[in-house]
Amino acid sequence: MNFLQITQQYGEAMLGGLYVTLKLSVIIWVSGIVVGGALGTLGAAFRTSVGDASRVVSVILAGMPALVFLFWMHYPLQAYLEVVIDPFVTAALTLSIINIFLVADLVRGAIVDFPRQYLDAARVSGMTMSDTLFQIQLPLLLRQIIPGLLLIQITVFQMTIFASMISVDEIFRVAQRVNSIIYRPVEIYTLLAIFFIAVCVPLNLFAHWLRIRFTRDYSER
Amino acid sequence: MLKGLKIRKSFGEVEILHGIDIQIEPGTITTIIGPSGSGKSTLLRSLALLDPPTSGSVVIDGEEMIFPRDTPVPANFAWPRLTVVFQQLFLWPHLTLRQNAVLPLRSRGISSPEDRVNQIIHDFGIAGLADRFPNEVSLGQRQLGAIVRALALQPRYLLLDEITSALDVEYVAMILERLKTLREEGVALLLISHLIDFARRSADQIVFLDGGTLVEQGTPAILDNPESSRLERFLGLVLEAR
Repeated sequence: MNFLQITQQYGEAMLGGLYVTLKLSVIIWVSGIVVGGALGTLGAAFRTSVGDASRVVSVILAGMPALVFLFWMHYPLQAYLEVVIDPFVTAALTLSIINIFLVADLVRGAIVDFPRQYLDAARVSGMTMSDTLFQIQLPLLLRQIIPGLLLIQITVFQMTIFASMISVDEIFRVAQRVNSIIYRPVEIYTLLAIFFIAVCVPLNLFAHWLRIRFTRDYSER
Repeated sequence: MLKGLKIRKSFGEVEILHGIDIQIEPGTITTIIGPSGSGKSTLLRSLALLDPPTSGSVVIDGEEMIFPRDTPVPANFAWPRLTVVFQQLFLWPHLTLRQNAVLPLRSRGISSPEDRVNQIIHDFGIAGLADRFPNEVSLGQRQLGAIVRALALQPRYLLLDEITSALDVEYVAMILERLKTLREEGVALLLISHLIDFARRSADQIVFLDGGTLVEQGTPAILDNPESSRLERFLGLVLEAR
């Protein structure tokens, strides 16, 4: 059985897995960027309350492998709470939490480290607060944040394969099931690798391009 | 007129400025000299209200702002009729030199800001560099860019912190001429400079700071005949370092 035959015979199943993976990724990306961005901004504004609490959670999460956290959310936590949650929801929630705190760390760091002298220059130039925010602070912050943000999103996208471990029918689990039927690991896992490369490499290159294009000389700090 | 009265500035427990009185008249150049750590930049930032004094007051055109105060300094109290060129410039790195100068004017609703900026860029002879980003030009050219940004605001009080530190002789001469023109136009200029000759040639008033205290002030003649032993010693060290 070659690539073409596998694609023809199991294409629908693979597409189903692909759909689940992409759905999971979109949920994680959107929640991570929106909630993480807000948490990071709040953490910078309220450093000793929100900022420190968020950092503590980040440090704990950074010390725990994502797969262990996922299993902990799926088994002991649900047993303790005496609830049964759909594995897709568990995976989406777990990976979203990871993404939220990674993004929050990035955003908070960028805001806290923002050279306030650029704002002083805007103040003595008589610029309005909104122009200072939208013409100076936000563009500089976005240039600082976006490359790192993209790399985080690539990492959490790759983490979605962990969802297969708690029976979420995402693309990796579908590939494993197809392989268990026809046993063509070279073709199947090569297809899987091509899929991840097709998504991750352009994002990675884009992040690299942004870093070169927009991370200008900050030596004036 | 710009006045600082009994200016004290502390950071935490450490008092940097110990009650300084200073007066800067329109149409004059005042140069602050002093050793490193004497409080020159702190005094400049206090007068510019960027780091407001811990106590004392700043008077601009007869309007007095007394410190300490409960509320922040209103943005329209001083800026941009009083503006600053920082030692480290702080040109916005995502904008070209021209955009750096145009943006504040546009933000303040000034019509045809490009014309005003282009004229100054032309006067400084940096038209060929104006569309480059700050990291694409030399430090000296960046300094000119920062000065262009400040001059485009047409300030009445211009505070400049070590603006000649990275400039070659030709640029220093050009800046000096430009400052003299501004003085003739009635602008009050306050400079911090470590170049004693530059201070001698440019200033109407010299202020010598040491240890956060105003030790001596007067015409540039004090550089030749200092009254205080501290200024004499400082000038001696400057001469030795040449």
